Amino acid sequence: MTSTVRTSAFALGCSLLVFALAGCGSSTPSKTPATPKGLKVALIAKSSTNPVFLSARTGAEAAAKELTAKTGVPVEIAWLTPPTEDGQVQAQRIAQAVNEGANAILISCSDAGKVTGAINDAVDRGVAVMTFDSDAPESKRFAYYGVDDEKTGEAVMDELAKQMGEKGSVAILAGNQNAPNLRRRVDGVKKAAANYPNIKIVDTFYHIETPQDAAAEVIRVQGAYPQVRGWAMVGGWPLFTQTLLSDLDPNRVKIVAVDGLPAELPYVEKGLAPVLLAQPTYLWGYVSVQRIYDKVIDHKDVPQVIPMDLVRVTKDNLGTWARQLQTWGFTDVPAAYLKLP
Amino acid sequence: MTRMLPADADPQVAPLAGRSASATMRAALVRLVTRQQTGLVLVIALLGLVLALTAGSHVDLETGATVNNFYNLHTLLQTATDASFFAIMAVGATIVIITAGIDLSVGSIYALAGVSTAMVLRALGPMGGAETFFIGLVVALGVGLACGIINGVMVVGLDVHPFVITLGTMWIVRGVAFVTSHAESILLPHALTDVAKAPLGLAEGLYPVPLLVMIVTAAVGSIYLTQTVMGRHVFAFGGNPEASRFSGLRLGRIQIGVYVISGVTAGLAAFLGASFYGSASCADATGYELYVIAAAVVGGASLMGGKGSAVSATLGAILIVLIRQSIRTLHFDQNYEWIIIGCATVIAVVLDQASARFTTRRLAAGAQRR
Repeated sequence: MTSTVRTSAFALGCSLLVFALAGCGSSTPSKTPATPKGLKVALIAKSSTNPVFLSARTGAEAAAKELTAKTGVPVEIAWLTPPTEDGQVQAQRIAQAVNEGANAILISCSDAGKVTGAINDAVDRGVAVMTFDSDAPESKRFAYYGVDDEKTGEAVMDELAKQMGEKGSVAILAGNQNAPNLRRRVDGVKKAAANYPNIKIVDTFYHIETPQDAAAEVIRVQGAYPQVRGWAMVGGWPLFTQTLLSDLDPNRVKIVAVDGLPAELPYVEKGLAPVLLAQPTYLWGYVSVQRIYDKVIDHKDVPQVIPMDLVRVTKDNLGTWARQLQTWGFTDVPAAYLKLP
Repeated sequence: MTRMLPADADPQVAPLAGRSASATMRAALVRLVTRQQTGLVLVIALLGLVLALTAGSHVDLETGATVNNFYNLHTLLQTATDASFFAIMAVGATIVIITAGIDLSVGSIYALAGVSTAMVLRALGPMGGAETFFIGLVVALGVGLACGIINGVMVVGLDVHPFVITLGTMWIVRGVAFVTSHAESILLPHALTDVAKAPLGLAEGLYPVPLLVMIVTAAVGSIYLTQTVMGRHVFAFGGNPEASRFSGLRLGRIQIGVYVISGVTAGLAAFLGASFYGSASCADATGYELYVIAAAVVGGASLMGGKGSAVSATLGAILIVLIRQSIRTLHFDQNYEWIIIGCATVIAVVLDQASARFTTRRLAAGAQRR
């Protein structure tokens, strides 16, 4: 061996030895059996840059605070959401949560196939796992909380058909093609569209799930298909920008979208998106943490699927919905909407 | 196989015939201390120590033992597993970088190799464990090999900078993965997961296979670069292409060869990753090329060519993953992750250049004294 190989082997060996030695003798057996004194929930959403998951975090932290005050059992939320959507990183975060002593994991799966093994490993090591928003149905998770995605897609199409007088060309805005929940919503849109013979789906359009990319896609498609009169959006990504308010004519084009966060409300007011089907995303965190508490601390039975209802946001209830969002911790609700009846 | 001296050997501390035992030992010690790998190991060890002291602890749910949040075998193996996918690709990327080239397509090759493996195994249906493993490995490596050949032939044949060629193939290959898989996440047979997650005698929940594959890849890469004529040619090409040409080296063949190696390491990482996580999709490894290049650069590879080490690249990958781990373990705002990794990359390059300048000055001063 040359000196370089020897030195290289030594260097790698040293680093691995540091790791190996660290692993030995790292645990100190306690005299009493393990009794969790509190509840530590690792919250792993799809992406920390998506505002819907930030509201889920707010809800989870509110539930943790309430449960701690009510029961005396300290409930803690550990935010382990990756900055961008990546199923592999989510699987790594699950393992990290278990290694750092989480009692439970609450996850919205970017890629169910990638995280199923990690969820099963966590459950095998005694950690309860619950999913929300996007499920991993083949895994050992104890419960899922979220909307029925196919029915959500159907509801989007039914609302859009009403707004369009049940005729005209429709484009579907579908976000990330890898997300199974979004694919089911698209299936629902297409299924419902079959009930309207005078409505034609021009195509389904996928894009990077950022507001700018989504808005750019809408503008590109509208240019390529000027006959489009309706947009069935299975997520509200482009409505987080203001650009479509000036680029699309509300008298000519109608949008129905899933989600109804503060930035999207001007679209309702201007009539470009007369209906938003809002997921109460705050409840993803709030309700899920309560169900996890029921399961882990109170040992209660929790249903495997907990359905979430959509909220229909229109001009009629814009004020009520705006105040609800503010109550849930959103700080960017336009003041004008808070004053509405 | 011809034995060769390493290209980055420091002539000041090269062994001389007739030295006394103590002088030889001192020279070996100086060589060890001045090696970049030693610095990386020290930084990794120091960071590990800081994490162990500051990470806090929890009570294990199964055993009731008090466990340090970082200083436990599960976390350490998990960190090594996270690093292994980058590290394996970083060995190939380093060999490309030594030739002053770059391969931006490794993340896309990873995705295509993964989905191809999953689709072929799904199409073939249930098989024995050994057959599944063998076919899966051949498909993943084959896809990596094919992509590497395409990259290399285009770089050489079109005489276009590899940045441009691999930027193009990055999108093309990702697009092929997207179209062929219909953006589905495709599950892999359990036989592969059983291999990738084999405990090898360790406790349940401990998976050392990715770590072992990473070590073997680093060792093979190191032997290739330092012990073979081909490795010597790679350094010669990167150090001075004109001199290499006049020496009669087949430069085109060397260039194609390094992209093939890069493709194959991406295929191997994809096979390991898809097997470990049990599924593959066209979105896998998006953006990983930047982590891989960062690992190579932090490991001391020079983008100007002529310098790099497989072991250092592996240590670079471990260091980057450890930085990511520390941000989470210490509950820092994870939005700072990219800033910290970016700073670490720049600092590593600046320190490396400063070290090179210092060595040059020292050599010049020594020559003047003589």
